[in-house]
Amino acid sequence: MDSTEAGTEILRGLAEAVVAYDEEKTVELARMSLKQGIDPGVAILKGLAFGMDQVGKLYETQEYFVPELLLCADAMNAALDVLKPHIKVEAQAERHSVVIGTVEGDIHEIGKNLVKIMYEAAGWTVYDLGADVKAASFSEEQKRTGAEVVAMSCLMTTSMLAIPEVIKAIKANDPDITVMVGGAPLNRELAMAYGADGYAESCGSAVKETLTALNRVKGAT
Amino acid sequence: MNDRAIRLLRGESVDRTPLFPFILGFCAKNGGYPIASIYDDPERSFELQSTTHEQYGFDWGPIYGYASYGTWEFGGEVRMPTGEYEQAPFHTRFPVELEEDVERLTLPDPKQAGCLPLAMEFSRLQEKQGTPISIVCGGTFTIAGNICSVEKLCRWMLKKPNLVHKIMALASDHIVDVVRHWSTAFGAERVIPQMWEPLTANSIISSRQFEVFVLPYLKETSEKILAMGVKHMLYHICGDQARNLPLWSQIPMGEPGLCSFGQEIDLYNAIDLLGSRNVIIGNIDPKAFLAGTPDVVYNLCREAIEKGRSAPRGFMVSSGCEIPPEAPRQHVYQMHKAIVDCAKESGGL
Repeated sequence: MDSTEAGTEILRGLAEAVVAYDEEKTVELARMSLKQGIDPGVAILKGLAFGMDQVGKLYETQEYFVPELLLCADAMNAALDVLKPHIKVEAQAERHSVVIGTVEGDIHEIGKNLVKIMYEAAGWTVYDLGADVKAASFSEEQKRTGAEVVAMSCLMTTSMLAIPEVIKAIKANDPDITVMVGGAPLNRELAMAYGADGYAESCGSAVKETLTALNRVKGAT
Repeated sequence: MNDRAIRLLRGESVDRTPLFPFILGFCAKNGGYPIASIYDDPERSFELQSTTHEQYGFDWGPIYGYASYGTWEFGGEVRMPTGEYEQAPFHTRFPVELEEDVERLTLPDPKQAGCLPLAMEFSRLQEKQGTPISIVCGGTFTIAGNICSVEKLCRWMLKKPNLVHKIMALASDHIVDVVRHWSTAFGAERVIPQMWEPLTANSIISSRQFEVFVLPYLKETSEKILAMGVKHMLYHICGDQARNLPLWSQIPMGEPGLCSFGQEIDLYNAIDLLGSRNVIIGNIDPKAFLAGTPDVVYNLCREAIEKGRSAPRGFMVSSGCEIPPEAPRQHVYQMHKAIVDCAKESGGL
């Protein structure tokens, strides 16, 4: 097996280990990829992220559920811990970035955490504010980090009412920030009525929907 | 419980479709009180719910309960809703944070633990006013999620299944203890326990995971409760649980049982799978109350009533989950209006 074949094998193995939520295997293969001289950015993108993309599809088609998705993310994150310190600084600078949180009055984080996983898997820099986040905190964190996207979720119909307030605060500061929303009580129509730029029905479609909204907002400016 | 609901449970004909209340925070707002009063002041809560039910034509009776049940009772902490966007009590600290915490869990005292003294005070008012004594004390998997967080529960299902089974067994025993305590106080035949199971939705777990980790405990709990002499149990099957419905149909809920559904479930499917033994309740989309129009709510109710006609053990209109506290009053009124209009058209009223 030549080094190219070995590299391909390792990348495939990383993806498969993520799908199989095999944490030991992802860590072993991540170390192996470094020894083989594979660019850690490539190992992440073509190995871990590719695997996580498959996981997102399996979740969308209801072959995987939250337990599997969480363990797949754990396997990915364990390997990311190995690879991240070796990523070149200039490569990191090219990443998309997002501020994410569950809105004020809502402590339900699981949906937000699943979306966060998908952003991270796609190579985004994620600034996670946690749950029960006030409108001003979203806005301040966006200003502090310069993130191009702010994403928020809610589970309750009452906390859903906080969403337009958050969007108003963000857009007042910079109308060109892309705002994404999601959560059980919402749908696309409501999201648009609240002033969001995009809506994702589930974590599986979050990154794709965000990129579509981001391109639309950037194209309009 | 009024005559209409009693007649429905007895299998007798009713003049109109009963309207089942899933309306808590709205009652506080309607009466000009903070939402917390529904949960921390039993007397006020009962009064606020009673008057709102009377005003909007609901047919059951006030209830005391919330979806985060289990956290406080097993030794964690909850906070009452006080913020502008808060809807119900929520956990601030789980009783189980580490694996070793599971070993330290003990069965709560149903006389003392968490919200149970408040719930008992509320049930004394239910008894006094002759409304159903419907204690909300579950469901089992949702209690388990409220003990250790749903994310931990999900991870352990695959990595440490024994921990999940241990928590589920404790949650099941706790529910039985609570219902036994209530049965001793009021007589089993008067108690109608309510179990709310949002965490078993198929957006979280698979039907296979439901079968392994949930079904055996729900069956066992139900069987023990019915063996005490409880006649009816209500299960709120919240969220999208279409894949779980064949399994839910294996769980005894009484004669008849009561089964309420989230808006994600097709009522014909629910009736087909669970309607032969249970009254079907549902399932108007809560967000329609907030973001819809009076016509939208009215038409959804008419559609549900039409579907409910085929339910062999009867049907009650309700929202698919709690009616949002901020819902416009005109929207809530449409439920009763749709019911009365349908009844008039079919000669019931």
